[in-house]
Amino acid sequence: MIRHVLLFTGYELKKTFSNPIWPLFSILQPVLYLLMFAPLLKSLTPGGTTAEALRMFTPASMMMIAVFGSLFSGFGLIADLRNGSLERHAVSPAWRPALVLGRVARDMATLVVQAVLVLVVAVLMGVRIGVAELLLLLLLMAATGLFASSLSQGLALTVRDENGMSQTLNLFMLPVMLLAGLFIPISFAPGWMQAVAPVNPLYHAVEAGRALFAGRLSDSSIPISFAVFIALAALTTMWSMRSLRRIAG
Amino acid sequence: MIIHAQELRKTFTTRNRKGATTVEAVRGVDLDVERGQIFGVLGPNGAGKTTTIRILATLIAPDAGTAVVAGHDLREEPAAVRARLGYVSQAGGVEDTTTARAQVVMAARIHGVPDPKGAAADVLARFDLSEVADRPGRTLSGGQKRRVSIALGLVHGPPLLFLDEPTTGLDPQNRANLWDRIRELRDAGTSVLLSTHYLDEADALCDRLVIVDHGRVVAEGTPGELKREVSGDVVTLRLDETARAAETLKPYARETRVDGDALRVYVDDGEHTLPVLLRALEEQGIGLSSIALDRSTLDDVFLAKTGRSLRDAGAAA
Ligand SMILES: Nc1ncnc2c1ncn2[C@@H]1O[C@H](COP(=O)(O)OP(=O)(O)OP(=O)(O)O)[C@@H](O)[C@H]1O
Ligand SMILES: [Mg+2]
Repeated sequence: MIRHVLLFTGYELKKTFSNPIWPLFSILQPVLYLLMFAPLLKSLTPGGTTAEALRMFTPASMMMIAVFGSLFSGFGLIADLRNGSLERHAVSPAWRPALVLGRVARDMATLVVQAVLVLVVAVLMGVRIGVAELLLLLLLMAATGLFASSLSQGLALTVRDENGMSQTLNLFMLPVMLLAGLFIPISFAPGWMQAVAPVNPLYHAVEAGRALFAGRLSDSSIPISFAVFIALAALTTMWSMRSLRRIAG
Repeated sequence: MIIHAQELRKTFTTRNRKGATTVEAVRGVDLDVERGQIFGVLGPNGAGKTTTIRILATLIAPDAGTAVVAGHDLREEPAAVRARLGYVSQAGGVEDTTTARAQVVMAARIHGVPDPKGAAADVLARFDLSEVADRPGRTLSGGQKRRVSIALGLVHGPPLLFLDEPTTGLDPQNRANLWDRIRELRDAGTSVLLSTHYLDEADALCDRLVIVDHGRVVAEGTPGELKREVSGDVVTLRLDETARAAETLKPYARETRVDGDALRVYVDDGEHTLPVLLRALEEQGIGLSSIALDRSTLDDVFLAKTGRSLRDAGAAA
């Protein structure tokens, strides 16, 4: 079982990095966000300094890569559904869930590389974070990434069509992004938005990320976001594994 | 017996805005495949060939029926069935972005082949793919891709290989070449179950076959048996009054059949019956525009069993 998951993880990673250009883009993207957004947001933050802005924006960009980096990985699964390789692997002795878990694990590995890169850039730009906070942040990112990636795989197996998949993702992305206060803290938003925001799971993750960067380990957003994302990740992982029954239509 | 299937059934339900529609893709299929045979499933588009193969490959659970594949029960021990199977789907299963070699090595690893790289190199060489093996799948020609897909299904040396329409889209030369490879496999002891909608392929390649239509087996036997059952020769006539001509020629024929604007007359001995037929038509004053004498083909079997020609059946499905 584990052997097959590792086997597929390795295979998917090799597939992703066999052409080094595209993964480089996706890994660099959050760094670009950080470099270009932080100066822009400077005027919005209370202190008005770049360091302040970074403390607001770094946690947001970490959560952003955790969610949106993995949300598109299901497109690869649709391609494999079409060319028949998923069907082929399903008729092999491989443990079936490994077919999706390998992809999820690949997304998590990519996520770690991205997170480290963003952190290095942020630290170079003057952001500081404690060791305990850092570990918690990475764990929270892992749960968020697990949720997003397995959601994407499940969606791919359900929708089975690139067009439908991108429509579905687009529909949800904008509201989820805005209502999480990713770029602009939700405290700037009108009352109704502030009221709706807690329904959005990502909102809690971003709040928790900011609390961690600010060193507020006892902030209530931290346990809430962990509970929410561990539960969601468990649900979507199970869903994606169950959706595998639909390989042959 | 490497496959023993009884009464397999599968109905698909698809939902859309207009409500649910059901398709009875497989309606009680029995299959008995002997070890070491090339066994064919011949049928028009939509006959249920792929669905039958997917059921036997453990991809789709049948609604009813039982099957023992490579010595193991399909429902009880699907994992054991998968371990003994090579499966080449209609789509082929070749990925675009990875090299052929990486895909074959991965397939070998999944099956726990002792030396995955060596086994991959062997099977790629056997299918003349060594030169192109390090190119991404998307850059391969149709024929090369086909051979890669078969190499993917064979790298672990399975006793039973499923090939779903293996030669669709290949030019005649590539097709003949692939037939030879499949025969070599059989001669080395591999049992092969293949589906096709080509009459000549079923005729030339299969040791035994079933003809399926609308999810049912309509005939089973060796190509020779099936053709003998229909009759030795077929005289195809194009004439003015098809119905009256059929009536006139009936006494001389085993069977007559109107197929579009042509009249097909099945006879045991074409060479000697032909002059008799011509004389009878002349006596009745029926004008004849063309006449042809052929050995009967599997299409005639299909026509005899279903009342349609296989060539037309695909378009209608
Ligand atoms: N996943 C599915 N959902 C709904 N209907 C299906 C599904 N798969 C097959 N069918 C239907 O079942 C019938 C049999 O399909 P199948 O693919 O088995 O035919 P086939 O003999 O392989 O045809 P072809 O020569 O075109 O490949 C068709 O009418 C098809 O539309
Ligand atoms: Mg088919």
